[in-house]
Amino acid sequence: MRQYLITKKWSYTTAIFSIILSEIVSVQFPHVLGEFTDALSRGALTSVLIAHYAFELLVIGILYVLLYGVGQMLNGRSGRIFEYQLRKRLFEHWESLSTDYYQQRSIGDLLNHAMNDVRAVREALSGGANILTNAVFLLLATLYMTFTTISVQLTFISMIPILLVPVLVVWFGPKIRTASREVQEALSAMAEFTEESLSAVRLIKATASEEVEAQRFSRKVQEIVKRQMHMVKRSAIFQSSIPLLGSLSFSIALLYGGLLTVSHKILLGQFVAFTLYLAMIITPLQQIGFVINNFQRASASLARLRVLLSARPSVVDSKTAISLPHVQGAIEVKLDFFRYPNSEHKVLEGIAFSVQPGQTIGIVGRTGAGKTTLANLLLRVFDPPRGAIFIDGVDIRDVVLRDLRTAIAYVPQDGFLFSTTIAENIGFAKAEATPSELMQAAKDAMVYEEIVRFKEGMNTQIGERGVTLSGGQKQRVAIARALIKNAPIMILDDSLSAVDMNTEKMLITRLKQLRTKKTTLIIAHRLSAVFHADQILVLDEGRIVERGTHEELLQRFGIYRTLYDLQQGEQGVTV
Amino acid sequence: MKRNASNVKSGVAREGANSLLHLLPFARPYALQFVLVFGLIVIYNATSVLQPYLVKIAIDKEISGPHIHTRGLFLITGIYVLVVLLGVLANYLQIVLLQYAGQNIIQKIRLELFTHIERQAMKFFDGNAIGRLVTHVSSDTETISQFFTQFFLSMVRDGLSLVMIVVMMFALNVRIAFYAMFLIPIIFLVSALFRKRLRIAYQTTRTRLSNVVAFLAENLAGVRITQMFHQEYRQAQRFDVLNRSHQTANIHEYYVSVQFNRVLELLGNVAVALVVWVGGGEVLHKVILFGTLYAFISYVRQFFTPINSLTQQWNTLQSSMVAADRVLRILQTKPAIEDPLLPQEIKSGLGKIVFDHVTFAYKQGENVLHDLTFTIEPGSFVGFVGATGAGKSSVMSLLMRFYEVSEGRILLDDVDIRHYRQQDLRRVIGIVQQDVQIFSGTVLDNIRLFQTQITEEQVIHAAKIVGADDFICKLPNGYQTNILAKGANLSMGQRQLLAFARIAVQNPRVLILDEATASLDSQTEQWVQRGLQTLAVDRTTLVIAHRLSTVRAADQIFVLDQGRIVETGSHSELFAARGLYRQLCEKSGVESAYVLSTNM
Ligand SMILES: Nc1ncnc2c1ncn2[C@@H]1O[C@H](COP(=O)(O)OP(=O)(O)OP(=O)(O)O)[C@@H](O)[C@H]1O
Ligand SMILES: Nc1ncnc2c1ncn2[C@@H]1O[C@H](COP(=O)(O)OP(=O)(O)OP(=O)(O)O)[C@@H](O)[C@H]1O
Ligand SMILES: [Mg+2]
Ligand SMILES: [Mg+2]
Repeated sequence: MRQYLITKKWSYTTAIFSIILSEIVSVQFPHVLGEFTDALSRGALTSVLIAHYAFELLVIGILYVLLYGVGQMLNGRSGRIFEYQLRKRLFEHWESLSTDYYQQRSIGDLLNHAMNDVRAVREALSGGANILTNAVFLLLATLYMTFTTISVQLTFISMIPILLVPVLVVWFGPKIRTASREVQEALSAMAEFTEESLSAVRLIKATASEEVEAQRFSRKVQEIVKRQMHMVKRSAIFQSSIPLLGSLSFSIALLYGGLLTVSHKILLGQFVAFTLYLAMIITPLQQIGFVINNFQRASASLARLRVLLSARPSVVDSKTAISLPHVQGAIEVKLDFFRYPNSEHKVLEGIAFSVQPGQTIGIVGRTGAGKTTLANLLLRVFDPPRGAIFIDGVDIRDVVLRDLRTAIAYVPQDGFLFSTTIAENIGFAKAEATPSELMQAAKDAMVYEEIVRFKEGMNTQIGERGVTLSGGQKQRVAIARALIKNAPIMILDDSLSAVDMNTEKMLITRLKQLRTKKTTLIIAHRLSAVFHADQILVLDEGRIVERGTHEELLQRFGIYRTLYDLQQGEQGVTV
Repeated sequence: MKRNASNVKSGVAREGANSLLHLLPFARPYALQFVLVFGLIVIYNATSVLQPYLVKIAIDKEISGPHIHTRGLFLITGIYVLVVLLGVLANYLQIVLLQYAGQNIIQKIRLELFTHIERQAMKFFDGNAIGRLVTHVSSDTETISQFFTQFFLSMVRDGLSLVMIVVMMFALNVRIAFYAMFLIPIIFLVSALFRKRLRIAYQTTRTRLSNVVAFLAENLAGVRITQMFHQEYRQAQRFDVLNRSHQTANIHEYYVSVQFNRVLELLGNVAVALVVWVGGGEVLHKVILFGTLYAFISYVRQFFTPINSLTQQWNTLQSSMVAADRVLRILQTKPAIEDPLLPQEIKSGLGKIVFDHVTFAYKQGENVLHDLTFTIEPGSFVGFVGATGAGKSSVMSLLMRFYEVSEGRILLDDVDIRHYRQQDLRRVIGIVQQDVQIFSGTVLDNIRLFQTQITEEQVIHAAKIVGADDFICKLPNGYQTNILAKGANLSMGQRQLLAFARIAVQNPRVLILDEATASLDSQTEQWVQRGLQTLAVDRTTLVIAHRLSTVRAADQIFVLDQGRIVETGSHSELFAARGLYRQLCEKSGVESAYVLSTNM
């Protein structure tokens, strides 16, 4: 914020300068009118002189409008550039934060920060600056006039209430800030709810829970109204008390000044002039109250943004991180245990295995066994402890994140797709991919045939998160997106669960061809996806309970065998 | 002058005013508040006028008058303070009341908007980004309410001042006042000239802002993908393009509105200069008195103060009209699927399903399902298999009436499902899908979907039946554990189990499992299936599965291929038929390999 103001200092100085200049110009207006009156009463007025004065007034009018307009525009522009930069910074900041952060905060809440809070700050910055400059100038000018022309004593005594203005600001400021923060929080909660509810609209419809949702939404909205009213009351009191103090000053002036006049300490003319000047203070005071009020709200928003921007990513390059541009694909895991942050439960325990470059590893296991967690650790979605996971013999905690993630092609369990075209999704990791490369990736992922059936082929827009694709199509687009990276290590997290057996077989065969000499980790529930692996790990409750090749595992009559019998046995009956 | 003010307004409005007018019913219940606010503004204005008057009395009577009373001075000061307090009080009440009305209006619009969006058919959500919808609900409504608060306030307050000034002018000199009225058409003309530019500027800014929001929302949801593929820089650049184009539009919009306000102010200043020039001549020729001229100069200046603040509000008006347009566009989108006027009650029947020559396309001309005809007997267990993209999920979406058939009809217990209310239909037919949606909240609430009439015992019972109880009990607070947004702290299979528990609580008569067990291991899958069977033996169950072991026991299996049913029969019949199903079966053995054709 401060930095921004500094980078824009010229723009702001020019703006404030031109606003002040415009005020100085506009003060000339009564002056010219006064001369006009004088000339008239002296009887010296001629039609030439009238035209002259009229012209002067015209020039003043135009100058004022131009100067003030320029000031306004400059301020408004800086404010909007600030808005842009703040959003840009937020976006870049968010991109740097790790997954654990996103598990704690909801998208709706973050959106509310980026929209409402940023706007509140900008409004105070650009609108407030104009009015404040204007008001402060008027205030100072009037004060100057009163002090220099009329009794200093009178001025001082009648200014006493106005001196209380800072007290008011100090007293009310934090209250308004708190109230405003609470409003923003309620707004965030609503945005959060709306986002979540609309994302789950299919479920809501399927279970006919529209009314329940509407009620829950209504509670959020009522909370906003409650908090808004709370804030409105506070800021209304604040905003009305400032002109109230002005008016009190005025009444002191009336009484005390009146008494002084009656006792002939000051002249009647002085008294009248003084009250006129004081009356001129009220409007700027009102404006200042308004602006301060806005500033309080903006500072609540600014504080919220500061909290947001001060979050640090938990997964970062270590100071001694080394670059690993040419990964061979050897993986070594020696993990004692792993707990998710804020959790007591050991999700993984005593995991040890190693993978030679070019090997294929299958990982199977019961639901919740920790397979995805293991993949997350390899990718440093969550940081493993030091000395637990090595790639090509280097602790991944010491590898530059970018290199690590370049070396691994990942197909997540929930293949998130962006709402662009199929082509753009496949080429997500490779901006420079040619159409034929994209096509090849789609073919390798066994999805090309279906894509060409769409009217727009690779350029089909697929809607939010790929809603217009079938489940299997989504998964295979996600696979194509990973394949195009042609990375030395590939992790497929249950990525074949939604495709039919035929397609799965083709895909597995194709993968085997493509990934000879490259390391591949396949997590799956269907054993048909892993039976060909060089080594299969069976996870249960966070431990590796069995390991070996398909044939070896079948002989052990353990969990693997049970799963095999369930999947194959019934088949076998009829074959 | 009142006329003038309303002229300005109707000049602005036309297209956008319609939208605002449509939203007026939301404000109607607060008519009383608006009347009160009006009264309070009158009081406040009166106290403001009274204050200088009191000072004048003090000066004329008590200070410089023939009888100088210090007591009178005290009295007048006392009255003055009272008047000030009254004014402040009126002002305070006015702010609070107006905000009260405004906030309640937003609340209503928000509620209406939200329920309306939820009423939309799924097609609507295929085409509308959620981030955008969120801005409609959260920020467009806010902008609209400014119309009812700021704009209304300014119309009343500045309108009143304008009327007073015009009355004063006419009282002073009808002829000059009449000339001064020529300003009105000019003001009107200027407003008309700027109207379109302002409106377009606002619209552009708003549209671009919602692009920013939509992009942001999506990228926050997919930030993990961006990071895994280390595309942060590229996404940031894409964001920058949107963000910058919003900035440009935003600055442009501000420039236009500043220009508009300043041009009007310029007009005022030119008018003053003209008055001095022309009026000065008249004073010189003794046509009018100097006092009159002086008064006119100040009136013309004063005349532009409310005009200026009205035009400031013009910006508010424009932006709220654009927001109203956007909100109204949603409110006026009729849900593509609506309930019949005279819905049929669903008989406590059996669950017989008939597809009668059903054809369906998501996009016109791209048929996904072709002429499907089949019958599912009540209480039977039916499997759907087929290559991915064959249209299995689409069949189920039609049965749930997420989408409307293009041709043909679907019958549930011999009644076209279009004759039922959607909610009734969906209470009878339950579905578990592969991608599970989880709400932030407790496990308990997630299973009973916030329906508080369902007890904890029922929930636990359901969870036990589908085998979810095991893992739930291991969570730190059991059923009261808070699940993070989107189920981030659960494994995929655990989310799936929650979905099964949900359906077990509902225990619908017809159950659809759309690859619901795909992220479960076979062991868990078996438990789930057994559990669901014990819950209701005579339920109609439709199962889509790629693991053929899942549907092997089905009474009937439909094999879909590219939107057509190509084979029907039981497992053994189909297996004997040596068709597509047989082929799939042969592929589904764990070890059966596939020989890749050379053109791949
Ligand atoms: N972010 C998290 N915070 C806390 N606990 C978590 C988090 N993510 C997962 N867990 C817990 O860790 C355990 C292992 O989860 P994981 O996702 O690794 O299972 P999985 O083997 O991939 O299961 P599935 O086959 O169902 O996908 C589960 O009990 C889950 O509840
Ligand atoms: N909302 C939608 N809008 C447009 N097209 C869609 C939409 N949903 C699905 N489709 C298209 O309809 C076809 C059938 O999709 P559907 O989801 O019914 O397949 P499926 O048989 O369930 O496949 P899978 O086994 O992969 O889940 C696909 O080609 C898909 O791209
Ligand atoms: Mg998993
Ligand atoms: Mg499907």
